[in-house]
Amino acid sequence: MHVHDLNPKKTLATLIIFVVVIIIGFVTLKRPRLTYKASLEKSIQILHDKDACFNPDQLADVLNKVNGNVVLFDIRNNFAFSQGHIPGAENISAYDLTNKENIKRLKDLNKNGITVVLYGNDQLEANGPWMVFRQLGFNNVKILLGGYDYYAKHKDNLSEASKDDSYILKRPRYEYSEVAKPSASVNTDQQKEKKKAPVIRRKKKTQAASGGC
Amino acid sequence: MNRNYIFLTLLMVVLAAGTIFLKEEPEYQQINAEDLLYDVIQPTRYVTTDQIAKMIINKDPTLELIDVRDSKSFEKFSLNNAINVPLDSLILPDYQEYFGIPGTKVVFYSNDDILADQSWVIARRLGFKDMYVMKGGLNKWVETIIKPQEPPETAPETAFEQYQFRKGAQIFFTGSKIEAPGSSTKKEKVTVRRKKKTTAASGGC
Repeated sequence: MHVHDLNPKKTLATLIIFVVVIIIGFVTLKRPRLTYKASLEKSIQILHDKDACFNPDQLADVLNKVNGNVVLFDIRNNFAFSQGHIPGAENISAYDLTNKENIKRLKDLNKNGITVVLYGNDQLEANGPWMVFRQLGFNNVKILLGGYDYYAKHKDNLSEASKDDSYILKRPRYEYSEVAKPSASVNTDQQKEKKKAPVIRRKKKTQAASGGC
Repeated sequence: MNRNYIFLTLLMVVLAAGTIFLKEEPEYQQINAEDLLYDVIQPTRYVTTDQIAKMIINKDPTLELIDVRDSKSFEKFSLNNAINVPLDSLILPDYQEYFGIPGTKVVFYSNDDILADQSWVIARRLGFKDMYVMKGGLNKWVETIIKPQEPPETAPETAFEQYQFRKGAQIFFTGSKIEAPGSSTKKEKVTVRRKKKTTAASGGC
């Protein structure tokens, strides 16, 4: 006579409690509030996507009400914002942008196909937040090239931004090899020590669009 | 067979199968998005060209310069002892051995600072710490170290000290001849006579 046969109801009861406890454990497992939607490879691809940048002449369209599908978020602090900002921009510091209401707002804006343009004093200031929001899956978030500084300088002729393309960065402004290289007689040991990364044999990828933001 | 045992076995099998559908291990260990965003808005990762020049001149062994431009640009010119890790290759495991070496400070640089900053964000997402970005990049390097600008007369003394340092760095990096002291007269130090205040509230911060 097996001991379990004596109390079938008790066995069943303990079994059910056991299962319930495990299920509760899984359900209440702490999930991070924000999760990445873009893999690391995708995150790097985004950096080459010209569509992810917002040019000053596109900004001109927004300010002239030609394009109404854009909202501007100024991610600087309130002091800088009150000193001067792009007309129509909202002041939301990058960290506040991650609270529940703003995330929901970003999701709705994304769903309705509205572009969100982040800007700081310059492209560098908005670069980090822009990258992270893109990686969180908000494909409608773009970064303003030139930032507020370029806008402030060209307020009156923004649509002719192509005349002053100083808002396009990542280019060398000098011929470094001529200007900055040590003269032949000096510092030759530095040349020897120049390390090279290990040569990796890789299938030649099609040249990723050099450009983007 | 006893029915309870069959039931128990089935239950265990189901639960075990369920754990397969739990969160998959991501390819690389990454920090979570909220932490990344917090780190990304700190300005503490930026270092100046002066600081880097100083470290190079002092042969600081903790400095690890990473040039994130393409290899062609790197071949044409690079900073002393810099290592070329193009941004597109940053996530390849072979290149990651350059990061996370204890005791080293990794400093990303590029033509400006955008590419370097973008590399920093990717590397930070991978969980690496103690990384920095040279503000202004090589363009700023030329404008401050290679071709330093003499500060105007009204500038504070620290600006002149910085200019002296930069002139010395210019010679170090380019081996240029020291200019005849035609224009660079040592500025007369203006001594400010101050009335000695009664030490009322000396102390505090």
